[in-house]
Parts: sequence; structure tokens; C-alpha cells
Amino acid sequence: MSAGLLLKRTMNGKVGIGLRRDISEEILNSKLLTPDFLEFAPENWMGVGGNWNRTREKAVSMYPITCHGLSLSLGSPEELDWDFIKELKVFLDENQAKIFSEHLSYTKSQNAHLYDLLPIPFRKDAVDHVVDRIRQVQDFLERPLAIENVSYYTPVAAEMTEAEFVCEIVDRADCQLLLDVNNVYVNAFNHGYDAREYISQLPLDRVAYIHMAGHEQVAPDLIIDTHGQPIIDPVYDLFEWTIGKMNPVPVLLERDYNFEDLDQLQAELLHLKNIIKKNWRVEHASA
Amino acid sequence: MHLHKETARIQEQFGTYCRTGVETGLPGVTPGRIHHYRRLVNKVVRDALDSAFPISHAAFGEEAWDLLVQDFFVHGEPKSPQLWRLPFEFYRYHANRKTGKQILKPYLDDLLYFEWMEIEVYNMPDRTFPVYDARGDLLGDRLALNPELEIIRLEYPVHMHPAAETPGMKGEFFVLIYRSPETGYVHFMDLPAINIFILSSLLEEDIPVNEIKGEIARTTGIESGRYLDDVLKKFIGDLMEKRVILGFKKE
Repeated sequence: MSAGLLLKRTMNGKVGIGLRRDISEEILNSKLLTPDFLEFAPENWMGVGGNWNRTREKAVSMYPITCHGLSLSLGSPEELDWDFIKELKVFLDENQAKIFSEHLSYTKSQNAHLYDLLPIPFRKDAVDHVVDRIRQVQDFLERPLAIENVSYYTPVAAEMTEAEFVCEIVDRADCQLLLDVNNVYVNAFNHGYDAREYISQLPLDRVAYIHMAGHEQVAPDLIIDTHGQPIIDPVYDLFEWTIGKMNPVPVLLERDYNFEDLDQLQAELLHLKNIIKKNWRVEHASA
Repeated sequence: MHLHKETARIQEQFGTYCRTGVETGLPGVTPGRIHHYRRLVNKVVRDALDSAFPISHAAFGEEAWDLLVQDFFVHGEPKSPQLWRLPFEFYRYHANRKTGKQILKPYLDDLLYFEWMEIEVYNMPDRTFPVYDARGDLLGDRLALNPELEIIRLEYPVHMHPAAETPGMKGEFFVLIYRSPETGYVHFMDLPAINIFILSSLLEEDIPVNEIKGEIARTTGIESGRYLDDVLKKFIGDLMEKRVILGFKKE
């Protein structure tokens, strides 16, 4: 077995956190947070020198790294941005990224980046389009891509269900799945379906990575996926139910802002580790 | 491309709605939901620009700043996949559109550029540092410069005065922006044109100051001699203290 494969295997069942600049000091220079691995959003670190580059280098020297892209815009009608993808490949290699994931959405429209995740119409031609692009990206990067089920607040011109859309893409693109359990909860709430039934339809053997996060309910019938609040118990419950049905993979706690209470963030990491310990046979050095 | 024209058009309509707020009858959407996308996209852009341009934001006030941001949001076409580079696109958009002249704030371009350059220099990819000695002859040895610096030219001295006071001060101003090798923080120095000449010569020609002294004397009208040497030594010494000049190049 290669060293890379061994390391990848040893990440399964481990709990990481996204390296945000606001908490990089606490992660790298204190024991306030004890993740097993770190996730970079490549767009936030690519082409950056100075202090942030030193931070990134230190992170790489201390932790295994996964990368979660923001701007590939896999579902966009626009051409793929090959200059960006070339830089991305260098970044992933330099940082020895164990997993690279992206969103099943689009961020670029009419030649303009919108820096947020817009919903792809659940349509057959969109499946064909995305499958082709995922294959192109995987071939170029020479690594599998794990695509994330995104949260969405309205479908657009859908001709199939979300689960059908995701399953067909994963199957035909021969890619991996990043299962965002919070997104499943959010979408089930917003669109009135059963979260467990939805997850049961997914190819869980293709899940390479799990994301967990908090959200915010903004109306009686609407939740926004904010990554700014603690994970709520029903999402933990859905997580525990889900991992009971699949083999161990790395799990990431996503938090993009509201970092005031690091004890609470650490408690979330530990809670995830405890749930994993009950359901998967893995060892946690830092739990 | 596998995508049908109709699907591509729907996706573009959705993107356009996010930028403009003009609804054009998107099919199959849940009523009352799509405005959240516009709100969220707007917030990402607004937050990125607010945090990049605190001086500009304060100088223009909430209403005028909001108009600048909205104009960019609707008509600008940010090309960078990296959000941290969005402020540069905002600067370039308004510079190309000559917005500053249109709104009678001629210093707009300079102010945005000045603020952007702090981000640019703070984040610039690491450059190779020269090997240097701490001791040497200030005028006779080749100097080792901090490679992580940029020199910008402004028409309005927004780096020294509140922007609103600068329209009557139009001229040619040079600002040295550099990253401290020790702290990684960015520092600014206003430099008279003659000092820019000296610094540019050192950057481009890699020669001791003594070799450009004649030209300095001609340009400044200061007679070459002890006084000029003292002026130059003070300038070089000051740059060494500030870590713009690191030391003396090893042969």
C-alpha cells in the first residue's frame, strides 16, 4: 500500500475543521481547537504570500489537508476556467490534498462571478453538461472529485428530483460524493421531503467525505445554510443515522464566522468524534 | 455543449436576477424564495468591498458608497474566481468608467487604488530575497533592497490628507508600499520624485549610489560634494532603518 493511500485511509473517521483566517492562530498556535485535519478553500490561499502563506505552510506541516473548492462553477453555462484549474492543480499537489471537493452548483453567470452557490436546474441536459465537466476536471487534475449536494432555497425549472439529479451525476461522472448532512436537513425542511428517505436514495458507497454545519431559520418555512451557528441536535441525529449506514470517511465541521465562542466550537468537534466513536471503529488521538 | 439553450437561458436569467433584482418570470421557482439569493450574493460582494475599502467607504458616506457598490454589482463583470481579488476588479471597473469624474470626486481612482495596494502587497507572492551583509559603505557598495515593494503614482495625495481635501492638490505623488520582512505588515512612505528616481535606479540597475550621484546632482541642482553625500546617506540610512533596504549585497 502506498504512503498516500495509507494516509488517506487513516483520515477516515477523523474530524477536521475548515481553516479560516479568523481562527488560524487558535488552531495552529494553541490547543483550544483539536481537529484531526484541516480543510482549505483553495481560492482563499492560491497565489498568496506573506503572513498568510506562512500560516498555510505551517498548517500543512502540522495537519493532513483536504481542499474544498468554491469557484469551479461546474454547473455554469460558461466554459470552464482552465487557467484557474491549472493553478488549482499546482495548489492541490503542493498542499498534498487528500481530498478535493466542489459544489454541485454554479457561481459564474454571463461572464461574471457571483461568489455564491446558485442552483442548477434539475434537468437531463444539465446532468449531461455537469457530467462532462466533472470528467474533464478529474482527468486534468488526475484525482477524483467529490461533489457536494448543496443547499438550495428554490428549485428552478426542475424536470427531475434532486436525488435523481445527484445520483445520475455521481454515477455517470464516476466521481465521489461529499455528503453535506446539514444541507440535506436544510433542503428537506425547505422543500418538504424526508431527509432519511433522501439519503437512502444516495449511493453511500461513493461518499468520500462528510460536511457538518449550522444554519439559520429565517422564516417559518425557510432555513438558510449559513455556517455561522452551532450544529443543531436534529442534524446530529441525521448524521448518526447516516454514518450507521456507511463506511468511515473524514468528517468536517464547517464554520465560516461567529468564532467568538471557541469552547463551543471545540465541543462540536468532540461531539462529532463521540458520535463517530459509537458508530465507526476508528482511533482518535486527540479526542 | 450538452446544455440546451433554454436551460442556459434560465440559468443566465437567474444570475441576472441576482445582480439586478429584475424578475423575468423564472419557471418553476418557489414563490418568495429567489430574493434570498440576491440578498446573499449582494452581501458577499458588499462585505468584501466594505472590508477592503474602509477609508473610501467612510469618505463617501453610506449612500454614495452604496451607489458605487450597486453600480459595480449590476454592471461589473468580476472575472477572478478568488473573492479576495474582487476589490481590484471594483477599482478597475470604476477607473475604466471614469466614475470619479462623473460624480465629481476626482480622487476616487487614487483612493481605491491606494487601499487596494495595501491588500495586494500584503498578499503578494513571496519574492526571493537577496543575500546581504549588515555592514558596508552606504554610497560605495551595491545595496540589497527588500524585493517585496511597489511604487505607485497618484494624482491626489489621498495617502496624506483626507480625500475630500485633495481636489485642490492635484499633482504627481509617489508612494512606496512595502512588506516588512520581519512582521509581514505593509508600510507606506510618501517619496518625493527625486527619491523615487534614486530608488528606481537602484532597483533597475543594481549599482552603488556613487554611480548615479552625477545624475542626482544634475536633477536636483545640488552640487556633488559632501552635502549631497550627507543627504544621500541620510536617505539610504532611513530606508535601512525602515527595512526597505536590507543591507549590502555580497559580491
